[in-house]
Amino acid sequence: MRTMQSTIVMAMLAACACALPEIGCVSVPDDGKQPALGTHVDDWRDEVVYQVLTDRFANGDVNNDYKVRPGYLARFQGGDWQGLIDHLDYIKELGVTTLWISPVVKNVETDADVDSYHGYWAQDLTQTNPHFGDLAQLRRLTAAAHDKQLKVVLDIVTNHMGQVFYYDMNLNGHPDINIGGSGPLQGAGSKSDITRITEYDPDWDPRGVQAFTSLGNAGRAPIIFIQDPSINRIPMAGILGTARGYHGFGRILNYDDEKQRMLGDFPGGLKDVATEIPEVRAEMIDKYTRWAELTDLDGFRIDTVKHVEYEFWTEFATKVRARLAAQGKNKFLMFGEAFDGNDKLLGSYTQPGMLDSVFYFTQHFQVFRDVFQSAHDENAQKGTDQIQKLWADRAVNYNTQPQAGGTGIAPSKSLVNFMDNHDVSRFLFEALGDKDALRNALTLLMTEEGIPCVYYGTEQDFAGGNDPSNREVLWNTGFPTTGDTFRHISKLARLRVKYAGLRRGDTNVVYSTAHVKAEEDAGIVAYERAGGDAGDSYALVVINSNARHMSTTADGAKAMKLTKPGVTLVDVLDPEAKTYAVPASGELRVIVLAQRAMILVPQDQLKP
Amino acid sequence: MLRPGTPVRRSSSFVIRRALLDLRGASLILSALATVLVPSSASAQTSKSSGPVQLPAPPPPAAVDIAPAAPAPSTPAPTAPDALVTSDTSAPSVPGAPPSAGVRGNEPARVVTETPSAHEGRFEFGSYGRVYAASDLRGGTGRGTNVVAFGPRIVDEGNYAELELRREDKWNERVKGRVVATLALFPPFFHFSGKPEQAIGVRNLYAQGTYDNVTMWAGSRMYRGDDVYLLNWWPLDNQNTVGGGVGAPIYKSTAAPGSSPQYETILQLHAGQQRLDNPYQFQKVPVVAPFGFGTVDVTKLDRPRTIETLKLTQFIRPSGGPGGFKAILYGELHQLSAGTYSDPLTKVDRGLPEDSGWMLGSQLTYFTGKRDTYASLVMRHARGIASYDPLAVPITFALDRTTSGASETQIAISGNYEQEEFSILWAAYVRFFRDGSPAATSTAKYDEGAAVVRPSVFLGEYFGISLEGSYQQRRLATLQPGTNDQLNASVTKVGVIPYFSPAGRGSYKRPQIRLLYVASFRDSATRALYPVEDVFNQRSTEHFLGIGAEWWFNSSSYP
Repeated sequence: MRTMQSTIVMAMLAACACALPEIGCVSVPDDGKQPALGTHVDDWRDEVVYQVLTDRFANGDVNNDYKVRPGYLARFQGGDWQGLIDHLDYIKELGVTTLWISPVVKNVETDADVDSYHGYWAQDLTQTNPHFGDLAQLRRLTAAAHDKQLKVVLDIVTNHMGQVFYYDMNLNGHPDINIGGSGPLQGAGSKSDITRITEYDPDWDPRGVQAFTSLGNAGRAPIIFIQDPSINRIPMAGILGTARGYHGFGRILNYDDEKQRMLGDFPGGLKDVATEIPEVRAEMIDKYTRWAELTDLDGFRIDTVKHVEYEFWTEFATKVRARLAAQGKNKFLMFGEAFDGNDKLLGSYTQPGMLDSVFYFTQHFQVFRDVFQSAHDENAQKGTDQIQKLWADRAVNYNTQPQAGGTGIAPSKSLVNFMDNHDVSRFLFEALGDKDALRNALTLLMTEEGIPCVYYGTEQDFAGGNDPSNREVLWNTGFPTTGDTFRHISKLARLRVKYAGLRRGDTNVVYSTAHVKAEEDAGIVAYERAGGDAGDSYALVVINSNARHMSTTADGAKAMKLTKPGVTLVDVLDPEAKTYAVPASGELRVIVLAQRAMILVPQDQLKP
Repeated sequence: MLRPGTPVRRSSSFVIRRALLDLRGASLILSALATVLVPSSASAQTSKSSGPVQLPAPPPPAAVDIAPAAPAPSTPAPTAPDALVTSDTSAPSVPGAPPSAGVRGNEPARVVTETPSAHEGRFEFGSYGRVYAASDLRGGTGRGTNVVAFGPRIVDEGNYAELELRREDKWNERVKGRVVATLALFPPFFHFSGKPEQAIGVRNLYAQGTYDNVTMWAGSRMYRGDDVYLLNWWPLDNQNTVGGGVGAPIYKSTAAPGSSPQYETILQLHAGQQRLDNPYQFQKVPVVAPFGFGTVDVTKLDRPRTIETLKLTQFIRPSGGPGGFKAILYGELHQLSAGTYSDPLTKVDRGLPEDSGWMLGSQLTYFTGKRDTYASLVMRHARGIASYDPLAVPITFALDRTTSGASETQIAISGNYEQEEFSILWAAYVRFFRDGSPAATSTAKYDEGAAVVRPSVFLGEYFGISLEGSYQQRRLATLQPGTNDQLNASVTKVGVIPYFSPAGRGSYKRPQIRLLYVASFRDSATRALYPVEDVFNQRSTEHFLGIGAEWWFNSSSYP
């Protein structure tokens, strides 16, 4: 019996011992606590931005999969910051260096059966969106990224908030969607117009959204904040929770009407914030700068800048820079999104005191769409002279001096270049799946002047159409790193690292053409990247955007003329590393296969 | 409340039952005497055939924790002699008598035999309950303030009652039985809410039988070990399943005849299951009816959690007296099969992987056997699904949607000391809970603990006053909103409880009719646990002034 008792006692001790390893104080990891702010960027032109929609990149924690509906792209899919943390090596292997993450603030959950997975329907500028994680997890993301020499840029919106109120146009105290009229009345010689009025998102009215009764107009429609905590559709604290914080003019109908553009609600019922009110302005500056302070961010991508008055940007940019610089964070990049084909308009947001850069939308239209995406259609494709002309306007339309206290790089030299993003259909969708065109365009994107930006999924040949089809779930691919496009981007990124000219050199277009058909030089564009801040580094990029035949850098007697005569150039994009001797005249005729490119560097600058 | 070493309390019903048994025994003895006094061949024959009765050995005393058997009567039931029949005018109507042979007139009297019934059966009623009315001194009702899972029961325990109806049977010295039905009443009660609807739960519905030393049971049952009264908590084992079990003493030794066993080892096994009405475990979906129109429901998901437990209890009474030690080794295995459910949002089938877990725990208790004085230490460690209360479904998971990686570790102490006009109850625990989520920060990763002490002074035989002081804290692996600090929520409580105890002195004497006042002091992290719309987000001090009662008697769950 003593043996049995000893056994029991020993088993009890074993049970106790079993528990001991688990005894330890739970804690928030150090990288989830307040970080010390620092400057993590030397020159933003060295960076390659990788845009991710957090909800679509990787699902690292199923516990925040609230109301996820897999496969339905207008609904939450489950991606989160933990997923990003888990796949930083994938991002690193791709060769990109800066993460642009979608908005982090708490949103109105859903509206009209579409979810706020994208993050642009802000409801509370002080809280993290629980679909993606908590503040500590966001900090861990930025810390982990910085550990891997990756930077993090946050997407913010100052123009509007989510659909937090409705206009009580019929003064009945609840939101209505009315459809009235019956159309033409047969035989009556008259018609009853069919009208659709939604109090959530009424049309623009220059008087402000009007209330009405059967007797006619009844003055400004009251703004009624919705109290629906089930979908987080409630007013936030402070002035943005009051009618005074909003313009109340209704939905923009004409983007060319400046008043509408500035004061109108963004389509989808996103309520336009009265950013001209000092109190609102201060709120925006404070709340968003706080995120940079809390998480050691490296920059802001700013949504819908063309819908906010210029004075706001001057004050916003200046105060954000000053506040962060006082805490040791410099070179904080702020680039704006103005979805517009007007190059002057884009450039206007880079004028002194304003933003460091903008999304180069004109290039998206005039280069990536007109030249590369259209390569399959010679009747639609535009010549590469369009590229040269657009680029020439950089120094005209954009500020050529760095912003005071900004990144240290002139906006004209640090435009954010992109082929596609979450607001437009993917490149491959418009290019009808032409992957040669995609990789060719990527070569230009990664070697031109400015900051390249790659939209997540490009590396996996995603080909979705317009929103939300262009917001595919990346983790369904399994994150392969062996695809041709992935390896192409990765190779271009490595070349950028090796050759400073590709990053910091000035641009000298040495060949372009209007030809797009059977001509000898159809589709050719060539540009040197040298000088500027690149030291003696030199690179020549030659691209044939033509999809039907090989082309040469000459058209009869006219030939590409380089500023680097007498050197031997090596095509570092070519696995065989072919060499080309530049004659003393500087004229170089090279043949480039259809939808292929060369990146040529002097043989004496060649790096292993 | 079940406490080791607690002397058996005898309720009034027990006393009445004893008296009835005694009366019955006396009548049987009288019958036997009558048989002896009437000499007859039949009677002699019957007596011979009966012979001296060899009674089976009495069963060992019921172990404290084993599935209780029907209590043995205080004296062995005597063997009843045959009934005496002297009628000369009618056929015997006693069962067992031979068929009538036309007995008439002055034929000699004879004795027919009636097989005596040793069966004893009775119904018992027991109850546990607590009912309070309280004010927060701000015009509202008093409200619980705990932030830990097993905080002090005072203020937070809420109203609750159990009504137990029990059938106790004994067929002979070797075979006994019990059927238990316990209904639990959950608040609010009618006089408070004005609504006649009452939430009722069936907490026990099982049958139990004992053959010699072995007790078996099956049904729906709360199957528990020792509790920590001040925390309203069963820290080692607390099963609530539909299933069955078996238990028996497997070793016993006695130092001297007539004394309590010096060593006693009891083994208990149990297996049961739960299938909570939740899409995590159970789902029915409508499908097109195979005949006619409309739909019929089919079971889409059916994956009960199956739990097996093993408990080895060792009693050691060094002197053979009422005091001693109780040591328990306890383990659980949990299994949950894989399944598929239809996502209610998307109508898309989603898989739920199989899951499992285990728990190992131990308890060491010292008891004096006098006035409920004891001290106890409990430790347990659980992994996987066993880390979660079986009456709740996990809400956070590992990436594969299992609970792998989840763990729970607990250490608890408790005790009671009573002497003359004074007693003191105490309890404390620490608990380390980690969910399986891959996130480093989570509100489901936390450490917590509480310490509570309740000294009492008995004022005469029936009145007393208790003071209670406690501290509790939960440290979560997340940041306190609006700060850069970890969320460490703590509450300190102090209270005073004057009471009337009709059952007399003692920490565990019930019923107890009480007045109580408790103040809870809540720090900023505690307040941050509540939405800003909740007054608990703003108030640092809470009051609870109330009157209430607590009772227990004759309950199989709280013997």
